Amino acid sequence: MAGLCRGANIGGETETAKPVEPSSQSARRRRMEIHQFRFVASDTAVAPPLESGRRKRQRLGSADVPSGRACDNAVQNSIVDERKIPAGPGSEKDADSNKCCPSISSSSSEIKPAVELASDVPKFGMTSVCGRRRDMEDAVSIHPSFSREVPESSTDLHFYGVFDGHGCSHVAMKCKDRMHEIVKDELERVGENDSWENKMKRSFSRMDEEVTQWSTAVGITSPCRCELRTPQCDAVGSTAVVAVVTPDKIIISNCGDSRAVLGRDGKAVPLSVDHKPDRPDELERIQEAGGRVIYWDGARVLGVLAMSRAIGDNYLKPYVISEPEVTVIDRTDEDDCLILATDGLWDVVSNETACGVARMCLQSLKPPSPVRSPGNQDATTISAARESSDKACSDASILLTKLALARHSTDNVSVVVIDLRKNRS
Amino acid sequence: MDISMASMTASAYDTAEEDFQRFFEKWRDKQIEILQKLNNASEQFSGGSGTGSGSPPVPTDPSSMVKHVVGLYEGYYRDRSKWADKNVLSMISPPWTSTLEDAFLWIGSWRPTMAIHLLYSKSGLQLEAKLSESILQEIASATTTKYDLADLSASQLGKVDELHRKIITEEKEISEKYAKQQERATDQDMVNLSHMVSEFMRGEEKGLSRRDREAEEEQIKSTLNLKEKGLRKVLKKADDLRLRTLKMVIEIMTPKQAIHFLIAATELQLRLHEWGMAKDARELDYGDAHSSYTPPEQT
Repeated sequence: MAGLCRGANIGGETETAKPVEPSSQSARRRRMEIHQFRFVASDTAVAPPLESGRRKRQRLGSADVPSGRACDNAVQNSIVDERKIPAGPGSEKDADSNKCCPSISSSSSEIKPAVELASDVPKFGMTSVCGRRRDMEDAVSIHPSFSREVPESSTDLHFYGVFDGHGCSHVAMKCKDRMHEIVKDELERVGENDSWENKMKRSFSRMDEEVTQWSTAVGITSPCRCELRTPQCDAVGSTAVVAVVTPDKIIISNCGDSRAVLGRDGKAVPLSVDHKPDRPDELERIQEAGGRVIYWDGARVLGVLAMSRAIGDNYLKPYVISEPEVTVIDRTDEDDCLILATDGLWDVVSNETACGVARMCLQSLKPPSPVRSPGNQDATTISAARESSDKACSDASILLTKLALARHSTDNVSVVVIDLRKNRS
Repeated sequence: MDISMASMTASAYDTAEEDFQRFFEKWRDKQIEILQKLNNASEQFSGGSGTGSGSPPVPTDPSSMVKHVVGLYEGYYRDRSKWADKNVLSMISPPWTSTLEDAFLWIGSWRPTMAIHLLYSKSGLQLEAKLSESILQEIASATTTKYDLADLSASQLGKVDELHRKIITEEKEISEKYAKQQERATDQDMVNLSHMVSEFMRGEEKGLSRRDREAEEEQIKSTLNLKEKGLRKVLKKADDLRLRTLKMVIEIMTPKQAIHFLIAATELQLRLHEWGMAKDARELDYGDAHSSYTPPEQT
């Protein structure tokens, strides 16, 4: 079960898909395409900018959008910046990667993003590994330009979500597949002029309903571990931390103990507060609902779940709720990066250290050597700088993951680093 | 060769067992030698001079050094396969391991996913060492040397993770197969045979009938042979996964990183064996001295 869709491979396929157009313009386009697919993996829906409106359609031409579902059945794989070392020829191409790659590569050959469009898409890096666990229950979903601000406006919105499943992986996988679509739907509702908070709360509520209906009505058809535990499928859930990034705002919606932290002016600003059962206000809420928090290997709702909010976990309702806490913050020129990660990172790496490492990686920009951009010898300086920035994000997410593993993190580790610096060279 | 345990006479069994013991001792000596070679290589390749005098000849570059060691492992697993044909039960419960090692055994030897954990642990230690040397900047920079395991690149980490999941899956499949084989210890043949033999014994005690011991032995032998055959298949699958895991991990790494990995793996195996033997020896001494009574707090 490989399913690694690598930038290098995709770049190659793109080239074969469009053998003509030998101009440097096409080379630049190709590079843009590559950088949007660099971190694709099958448990990780990383879609290219969506054709979400007229303007975009004009710019993109016909875009056959691969949703994360293209990778539905490819089980859990990691993501990597493959371009540091060119991949061995076809070494990882097995059945699963074939299952996953075609839709992405086909769209990468069709989408021709204009350079100026790509420039307002924040760069990101992402890593998601099984680590020292025997099950992979994390899922990551990244959808640049997944929606646009309404009413009619020309600003793109970007979606980043990290989900840490428990009990089994299927709720987290469902969130990966569906959350961005639900959020998009809520954001683009005609005639709604509601607050971010309400839109996000409705999205989470709908996500939770879908998960509940799906697991009760259909039964689990996917090959999950939890098959053996039916009808206890209710005992499955997932955290969700979702960032919607606009040109001037960051909207964080959190449910559970994954976390979003903003690196601003060298400092770490937490944008979510973990939902732990012993958090005083959460404890009070649980008790008011008639639930109890029992200390059994840490504080747990009814002695079972070590977090007080989650998507799914039907059997712990109404004590465990799916309502997110929503933080809306204005972006500033001092913002370095946004880090979303599961507790596999946060258990062993502090907010400050994480932001410090990420900032350091982002600042250590070096002009990439030709070796690192195979097939792009005619790289212009602009795209070179972009690639470098992209690579910096990837370096940051990798280094944070390695740090988590080094510090004996016993959980799956998923890290997303988003470059928020506005005035990049 | 098809010498099953049941068919061996006592002396033939002892001889086979002795060879078997030697096979293990030879491999342990080989491992000590491998470790020495790897350490020399590691020092040599990192710029220092090798320890020189008396050390075995070392291939001149990291890549052929790694190939050399992998070759030795391949030979070892070929031998294991031969021994599995002769004596699968002793391969699954090796008489040469300490109780400490036994506690960590998976179908007769190391659990494949341990290779990944070993890699993460060693890589983590080497990364932390670098962090404390406060050259984080250098690690983060693009120009990593991929010298030791702290320098695992993004693509390497991705491949390791991918391999990890693959191994977990295969390991689980083999564990399931092993479970099936173990459950066959209670299949109808076995239950019937054990009942039959017990009844014969009872009857003989009462003087009702004489046992046809030869036919009985024959039936026991053939029934147990079937079980051994099933176990042998699983053991070979497990060994195959172990060797493939080793080779796949090494394939992901640069030769220099692979040397660090192999050093860590060999060190751990050798020391675990020594610690376990020492512990067993201590407990044996203690047991002899206090043969009539062992206080519960003593473990």
